Amino acid sequence: MIRTHVLICGGTGCTSSNSPAIRAAMEKEIAAKGLEEEVKVVQTGCFGLCALGPIMIVYPDGTFYSRVTEADVPEIVEEHLLKGRPVQRLVYNDTGDEKKVDGPVSLSETGFYKKQMRLALRNCGVIYPVVIDEYIVMDGYAALGKVLTEMTPEGSY
Amino acid sequence: MKTLEELAAIREKMKSKVVLREGSSDIRVVVGMATCGIAAGARPVLNAFVEEVAKENLSEKVTVTQTGCIGICQYEPVVEIFEAGKEKVTYVKMTAEKVKRVMDEHIKGGKPVAEYTIGNN
Ligand code: FES
Repeated sequence: MIRTHVLICGGTGCTSSNSPAIRAAMEKEIAAKGLEEEVKVVQTGCFGLCALGPIMIVYPDGTFYSRVTEADVPEIVEEHLLKGRPVQRLVYNDTGDEKKVDGPVSLSETGFYKKQMRLALRNCGVIYPVVIDEYIVMDGYAALGKVLTEMTPEGSY
Repeated sequence: MKTLEELAAIREKMKSKVVLREGSSDIRVVVGMATCGIAAGARPVLNAFVEEVAKENLSEKVTVTQTGCIGICQYEPVVEIFEAGKEKVTYVKMTAEKVKRVMDEHIKGGKPVAEYTIGNN
């Protein structure tokens, strides 16, 4: 049973900073540790922080890793995915405040995202864009469905 | 796909596959998974919680994660349960068999299983 999702950015920026190789290394390492039934690797679209790529986010804890390299993968698997200790030196936790936090912060708490309210892009970096069902879970097509079935051209119900 | 019901059905069916990514829920089950925990059998405990949560359809309410060494290695496997507005409950010497009871009585019933907690061991 899957207990952890490892989201690896597959956007253009991160692809050019080597995320496909990291994804492959991650899948290999997970298999080597016998964690295939517990950990799933998900490719996502651009998170929006390409300069910090390649980006990786681990759920359910939401740990945000930046500038990950292939060489970091075994350590992430052994320490974080197996033993539950995020690899601190890769954790991005700049909240934009003067006071530094230690330990992971979620994406929405980082200085870059804190003041943003993403609408059209809110699923970007959360779902695997190639699987339409993942979009539907995030209420995809719900508005269109409502328009077509419940509303009138005048805009009333 | 022709109707809204069909759309809703897909959403319900696939939800459990994505819900993990929504992060924090009301109840957090944290399993100590440092070397001491793993040696004492923490992995089957972790997996038992994950399976029970899925089976009981509680993925939206309960998150299961691991943590490093909690510092009481002789009591491993240790499981801590955090719930908003309630005091943390620490279970010690957990096994996959004990998980079922914790799920029924504590997670679902709201009453911690006293005999498995640290005070009683
Ligand atoms: S491409 Fe990865 S964050 Fe933009």
